[in-house]
Amino acid sequence: MKKLVDKYINGFLALVLLVFYLIMSWILHRTGYEHSENLFIAEKIKILFDAKENTLVTLGTTFPTMVFLSSLIFTPFGYLFSPIISSIALSVTLYFTLLKDFKESSRLPAVVYIPLLSLLFFLHPGLIYSAISGRGVAAILIFFYFLFRSLFRYYQTQTTFYLSMASIYLTCLVFSDFNFIWLLLAFFPFIVLVSLEGLKINKDQAPISQYLESVNNTSQRRKLTNRAIAIYIILFLLPFGALLLFGYLNDNHAGTSDYFINSQYANWHVLGNVPIGEVIATPGTNASFQTQLLFQFYVLLLNPLLILAFFYFRGKLYELFTLLAPFILMTILLINLQFYFIIEYYLIFLILGLIGLSFYAGKKFTKKATWFLVFTVGLLNVFTGIYYFKMTDDAEEKQFYSAIKDYKNWLKVKNNSEEYEVAQFISNIADINNKVLVDDAAAFKIVAHLKSLEGIELPISKSFGTVIENPISGVRYMCVAKRENRLKNFTVLNSYNLNVMQSRGQFTTQLMFESDNWVVYKIYSIED
Amino acid sequence: MAQCVLHKLVSSDSLSEEKLDAILNIASIYSYAPIKTALNFGFLVRRDYLNYLESQGHQIVDVRTEELQEEFVNQCDISHINSFLYLPLRKNRNNELLVAAADPYDEKLVTSLTVKFRCKIVLVAASDLDITWLGHKLRGGYFVKEAVFSLMKKHPESSALITFTDPQLFFIFGAIAFSFILLIIFFKPTFIIINLMSSIFFLFSILFKLYLALTGSKSELHEVVSKSEIKGVNEATLPVYTILLPVYKEDKLIRKLIWNLRSLDYPKAKLDVKLLIEEDDDKTLNAVRNLDFPANFEVIVVPFHMPKTKPKACNYGLFFCRGEFLTIYDAEDVPDSDQLKKVVCQFRKLPEEFVVLQGALNYFNKNENLLTRMFTLEYSYWFDYMLSGLETLDVPIPLGGTSNHFKLSTLIELGAWDPFNVTEDADLGLRVFDNGLKVGVVNSTTLEEANNEFFNWIRQRSRWIKGYMQTYLVHMRNPARLVRQVGWRGFFGFNFFIGGTSFTFLLYPILLTFFVIYLIFKFAFIRSIFPDWVLYISIFNFVAGNVLMIYVNMLAVFKRRYYELILFAILNPIYWLMHSRAAYMGLWQLITKPFYWEKTNHGLSKMSSTSAVVTPE
Repeated sequence: MKKLVDKYINGFLALVLLVFYLIMSWILHRTGYEHSENLFIAEKIKILFDAKENTLVTLGTTFPTMVFLSSLIFTPFGYLFSPIISSIALSVTLYFTLLKDFKESSRLPAVVYIPLLSLLFFLHPGLIYSAISGRGVAAILIFFYFLFRSLFRYYQTQTTFYLSMASIYLTCLVFSDFNFIWLLLAFFPFIVLVSLEGLKINKDQAPISQYLESVNNTSQRRKLTNRAIAIYIILFLLPFGALLLFGYLNDNHAGTSDYFINSQYANWHVLGNVPIGEVIATPGTNASFQTQLLFQFYVLLLNPLLILAFFYFRGKLYELFTLLAPFILMTILLINLQFYFIIEYYLIFLILGLIGLSFYAGKKFTKKATWFLVFTVGLLNVFTGIYYFKMTDDAEEKQFYSAIKDYKNWLKVKNNSEEYEVAQFISNIADINNKVLVDDAAAFKIVAHLKSLEGIELPISKSFGTVIENPISGVRYMCVAKRENRLKNFTVLNSYNLNVMQSRGQFTTQLMFESDNWVVYKIYSIED
Repeated sequence: MAQCVLHKLVSSDSLSEEKLDAILNIASIYSYAPIKTALNFGFLVRRDYLNYLESQGHQIVDVRTEELQEEFVNQCDISHINSFLYLPLRKNRNNELLVAAADPYDEKLVTSLTVKFRCKIVLVAASDLDITWLGHKLRGGYFVKEAVFSLMKKHPESSALITFTDPQLFFIFGAIAFSFILLIIFFKPTFIIINLMSSIFFLFSILFKLYLALTGSKSELHEVVSKSEIKGVNEATLPVYTILLPVYKEDKLIRKLIWNLRSLDYPKAKLDVKLLIEEDDDKTLNAVRNLDFPANFEVIVVPFHMPKTKPKACNYGLFFCRGEFLTIYDAEDVPDSDQLKKVVCQFRKLPEEFVVLQGALNYFNKNENLLTRMFTLEYSYWFDYMLSGLETLDVPIPLGGTSNHFKLSTLIELGAWDPFNVTEDADLGLRVFDNGLKVGVVNSTTLEEANNEFFNWIRQRSRWIKGYMQTYLVHMRNPARLVRQVGWRGFFGFNFFIGGTSFTFLLYPILLTFFVIYLIFKFAFIRSIFPDWVLYISIFNFVAGNVLMIYVNMLAVFKRRYYELILFAILNPIYWLMHSRAAYMGLWQLITKPFYWEKTNHGLSKMSSTSAVVTPE
């Protein structure tokens, strides 16, 4: 019986977590919560399968995003639900992998690591959010975990396999969030330290002395440089090769080589990353935490498990520097801080803490007091997760937290989002003879909710340029972003441009539907 | 006790008693004449020995020019001639049979020949090499025919004598004709399909290689046989090990060869080393003759017979082998000194079904020029990662040219090498799988000389690619049977690895031209032929394929710590163009002269292999 439990316990727990996340996502959906990244991906999938022309630009340019790719697999569950089930699947996989890795490493007994991981995945609001929001956070976390796990395994085994796998996961991570390309600089210290390991120098002296010894000797310097460059290339060739490849393809099929990174039609981060200036300008903000000096400490305080991991890795210099690499990454990003850091930039440190504990310098946690300590710190991590959501300035995270917190409203009548209401209206009026002009750069949430793309004129359409110049020639209705709409500057169909179009004197408008951020107009030719 | 020249040498203090005992002991193991043992196991210098005979009043006859009555030679068996180094010449007026012998004092030989020919025997001194040469030339006819035709007679389906079978010709021409008809009727769609199929195949073929390399790199540090196990080997229990050294006009390498063989950590008495020299290769024979230090190999002269290929020479050599295990080295090879012991230990550990172990090959002149660097990168990933990957996935392993270690009895049962196949080693590896047996990989390296000259490289590579094509055609004569024997995984592995390799090289310049025309010159007609999605997929496959192939090359440096080579991997697309040039040459030769063996010149390197002798740490 014990053997049977041992064999299937991880799978069983993963299944329970899957059910838990499915129920939570259903509840969250009932409250009307929909994350914009979820809708962005859903909309791209809808275009891919339902649009009649130019789907290649959609597929070819959005395709490199891991969250889009993983969501494609779950399309049979529905366009809107596929990103959510994809992030649930990735989160459950991460949970299962962690259980498996903790079991294999046997640093902690099952009575500690199973409750610890279950506590985090069932109760940590950040991990629940990453699983059920339909965002790309789960993809970031799992590839981040696999990347660092591969690096630690490389240290243990010194086999090229793990270095190659690290490179593959790094590629996936970069294609989950482009900012991770800056690990290129963040990895520098530990790569140099790892390279020092392979040299025939006095290993008893301090690392800095080892470094000085190696750079002052021609032969050792050459070896150090060669090895460091080799590790660098092996780690970064695939991400750079992939970026180069998609740069080529974007250049040829979308007009610019960075379309998949910088276009609002291809990458949610262009729209979703809120400029830090915008956040700081808001009264009562906590964004001051994201100043260069404080931020790393703030992150560390929010992830006590990582502090514990650091403690156990003392004296293991290059492993310690591996754990420090994401901090260096944050420092690099803070040099030219442009956007407000959201949950993934905190959760990666929680994952890092778990990696640290599972690989803990090759030693085992044998004392029961340590077990208690690890579990207590894990519990503390759940509370710091709640604290994060209390303090966050990201509107969608705030919305998530209040939706989860107000459990009394969970089973009440479902609230429909603003975009859903607009989409319902458009679906009722649009047909082949009464086309509606919609720019999904900002209106992607509306498009995601449309019943069909029949009668919708989108930017992927070859005639879109003509229609924008002279709307009356191709459409009967226009969906326009109001002045209050945060994304108004990302779309040509905003109130300002409408005035410009109208000033040409070709058409007049009649307001048909209005919400907080959107207006649907019917347009008439001046001649009519 | 029968006397021989060695006793005389002992009495004149030219040879110690201990050495004589050792020689007689080895001679009894191999059933060789003592003089043969002394000359072939490093006890006597050939030139000194002939001088000694002359000093004793013997005139050394040149058997090649001597009058010869073939009726006497024809009564002798080549194995006996080869073991006892004699050759009946003619009868003189006194009805005495003149016999040329390497040892004119060999009483035992005289006794046995007297019984055989029933006449008085007169031994005249001759060079053992000349006796060997003429003996094999005159009496090796049957064996050489067997060496050439044995596989064809026993397993005609496995012989590459017929390059294309009728169904294969029907299929190939049918496919070409069908494509042409489709191109004429539906030009665009057909062209699109051909383009897509080619580019998808290209990417898959490289992805498969990446997968193999990753699988292989996983077991990088796995050692089936540990160093302590090798140290603990009881040498008395080691079997006789045959080493075949097929050479052709490698006179410059003979000294290196002896040096390399001496570095092998294996009891000398149990090394049955055969230097296989072609009948018309006087250069190498004279180089052996003129050595001023003892040789530690036996010369076997391969009688002339077409095709003049390495597998034919090896097959011929097999008739004279005495070992339980057998391996092949090239003349310039520098194997790890503990390689043979490691192989024996590994064979003892592995299940019976493992009948061949392939050692890793690499180069001692890796930093000589760009070509040798690229070659080193290629060999490193091929032997260090690919073959391990194939072994792990249980996919047929094409053997490399040398350092493949066989169980001799099984090798003979399998029909040995196909002399009509120019990559007979790759073919044999697959035949092993065909017969339900297994090829393993041994974690031991043999350093070779990397080809450092462009046209020499092209010739060598064209032969290899032609051989892969031959091998592919041979084993795909009956695909259904192949699937039954190696399973679906083996079948796909074989198609992607053997068939795919040659095909990708043929395809590469076409895809590259397409890429250049489309992306760099941006010719409009390309867009008019192909829809955007086809161009997207094609470019994706081509660029991704190239990046991945560069990456696979880069992986190679890690195990060997050749970090300084890593950036050279970026030149892989150029290296592949060279492959393509060789592939088209190979394809042309496959059609026009399929059995022609493009000779690779060795010994061109200015770097020394002696500094590269690898000893176990």
